[in-house]
Amino acid sequence: MSLQEFWDYLVLGLMLGSLYAVIAIGYTLVYGVLQLINFAHSEVFMVGAYGSLIVLTLVDPGANPSMLASIGFVALAMAGSALFGGVTAYGLEKVAYRPLRRRGAPRLIFLITAIGASFFLYNLAGKLFGRDPSTLPEMYKNENVFTIFGAGVNITQLLQFATAVVMMIALDLLVNRTKLGKGIRAVAQDAEVASLMGVDIDKVISRTFIIGGVLGGVAGFLFANLNQVSYTMGFIPGITAFAAAVVGGIGNIRGAMLGGVLIGIVETMTVPLLGDEWRSVSAMVVLILVLMFRPMGILGERVGRAA
Amino acid sequence: MLNKTVIKLAIPVAVGALALTGCGGGDSGSGDTVKIAFEGPLSGDNVALGENMQNGVQLAIKQANASGDLGFKLEYVAADDQGLPDKAPTAAQKVIDDPDVKAVVGPAFSGPTNSASPLYAEAGLVTVTPSATNPTLTDEANGFTSLLRAVPNDNMQGKAMGDFFSKKIGAKKVYLIDDKTDYGVGLSKVAEATLKAAGVSVVKKSVPQKTPDYSATAKDVVNSKADGLIYAGYYQDLAPFAKKLSDAGFKGAAISGDGSNDAKFVELAGSASENWYLTCPCTDATVEAGTKKFAEDYQKEFNRAPGTYSAEAYDVANMIIAEIKKAGKDVEREALRDALAKASYKGLTKTFSFEKNGEFKGTDVFVYQVKSGKIAYQGNVNELIG
Repeated sequence: MSLQEFWDYLVLGLMLGSLYAVIAIGYTLVYGVLQLINFAHSEVFMVGAYGSLIVLTLVDPGANPSMLASIGFVALAMAGSALFGGVTAYGLEKVAYRPLRRRGAPRLIFLITAIGASFFLYNLAGKLFGRDPSTLPEMYKNENVFTIFGAGVNITQLLQFATAVVMMIALDLLVNRTKLGKGIRAVAQDAEVASLMGVDIDKVISRTFIIGGVLGGVAGFLFANLNQVSYTMGFIPGITAFAAAVVGGIGNIRGAMLGGVLIGIVETMTVPLLGDEWRSVSAMVVLILVLMFRPMGILGERVGRAA
Repeated sequence: MLNKTVIKLAIPVAVGALALTGCGGGDSGSGDTVKIAFEGPLSGDNVALGENMQNGVQLAIKQANASGDLGFKLEYVAADDQGLPDKAPTAAQKVIDDPDVKAVVGPAFSGPTNSASPLYAEAGLVTVTPSATNPTLTDEANGFTSLLRAVPNDNMQGKAMGDFFSKKIGAKKVYLIDDKTDYGVGLSKVAEATLKAAGVSVVKKSVPQKTPDYSATAKDVVNSKADGLIYAGYYQDLAPFAKKLSDAGFKGAAISGDGSNDAKFVELAGSASENWYLTCPCTDATVEAGTKKFAEDYQKEFNRAPGTYSAEAYDVANMIIAEIKKAGKDVEREALRDALAKASYKGLTKTFSFEKNGEFKGTDVFVYQVKSGKIAYQGNVNELIG
């Protein structure tokens, strides 16, 4: 691999990794407050993608929209995906998890419920939206905007990377600087004590789901823009992002970001070095290697401690 | 306590046993109805290809019933295998257990054909596939004695792709991708051999279906400096890949096979599908003179133009109907299978007859190209390369 090729793939890997990072945050946030792996998060991501598709189909960008219009369409699509993602995650918590929590169900039941909810959601989506994939209508003409280390970056990639970074910074601030963030961290550290200190646990948990859902939904839109929309689109990125969350240290928000970027780069680098068929393998090898030497992930567990 | 448990268990077991014997008893068929099944992807990611064929079969059955000279009633049975090898045996079993089903159109895809054919062979139920093109399916060692292939296999199509690149396009270096399915791997193997024999250098890669991001793959194609690209796989993966290729600035000639030869490819990939070549052992029903009438009927019935393999499925269904008509509605499954294997039937698209192992006799492969958002018919490969 020449140096130029290295930069090419590094940039591509960073773009993909930023997307994995945003999805991984959804897993990590929920794990932080509930110690639950929310396997239905990949479906929140899928529903978000459909949200943007629905919005874009309704407003219909037409051929060659102006630059201002393009920005508007992107913003609308993003808002649509955030709304769909947020509402789905909220509903999921309300319908699938809260009743279990009330009854003090064992952890395993939560896990099974999560998988059940995931099956339900993607089959429902297949029924509602059809089982054929679709693509988002073109919102802008995808051209190269600049080059970095000789690697061209086009609008789709820039949009994807910039949105991911902005969302991650915003989330980091939210968790570390706001009252809600303090609540999230308190519940993550010790839910019982937090409730004794006057934190409304139900509210914090449900808001955590909404935040994770909004991030997941927008990631769904970005992913749909990169690839396409289909009812099974959540599965592979979902598993990969979950692995990324574990690599970084599940429950740890900055860990999820780091893990996502790392897995994205490793996957992309695999393509020229070993070939596409090895990309998932190499991602999982990274996971295993990290867990062998740092069983809690690179940055360690828990929202409360590390953020 | 123990007794109660035994009784609780005994009742469902007894009911189940009754149900089973009920199934086994009625193998002779009943009434005036003969059923023809279609096995293919009727849900899942490749549903468009399945529906193309299902519609063709349904149209044939409807017209046969309407003609009034059958003396019995034909009925359609759908068997959905989602295009997946692991779902196919269940779909096949469902069809086999229905004693009224005398013949099956399909399975549509090579993988499912491979996993379902042992069951069909055991039941003696004939399956005539209009589209499963993996060459190994007709190997006699498989023992797929009920399988008839009504389409030239991938050896023909892969060879056509290779010939087209070496003789018509004049490519020097071809980047060859398969999608790791039975179909894609079979196709790419033959294409590779043909290209190498013609002195074209080949970069061969496998990119599994549902790869989440094709950017890196597209970059790799451009970096390889290949002037030709072959994608052996299906449209729903080719579409995002084609987009990334166009983003990455790939300028060479690109070709894919019948798995991508669907209007959905153009719809999904948009302008990135422009100039892609597509091969198919199928003709374009809306262009060829022999199938114009069929295309009109199809349009009227389903409110859309026939797609890839619609006309072939229609032909195969009609061939089966003709044989059932000859043999009468009470024909045994095995007898119908043997009759079909020996038959020669002139359909709208081509003449169907089979080798001893069930392989199709004939080699016609056709080339299409996406032009201004339409899949335009270019002609027979043998004529194009001259």
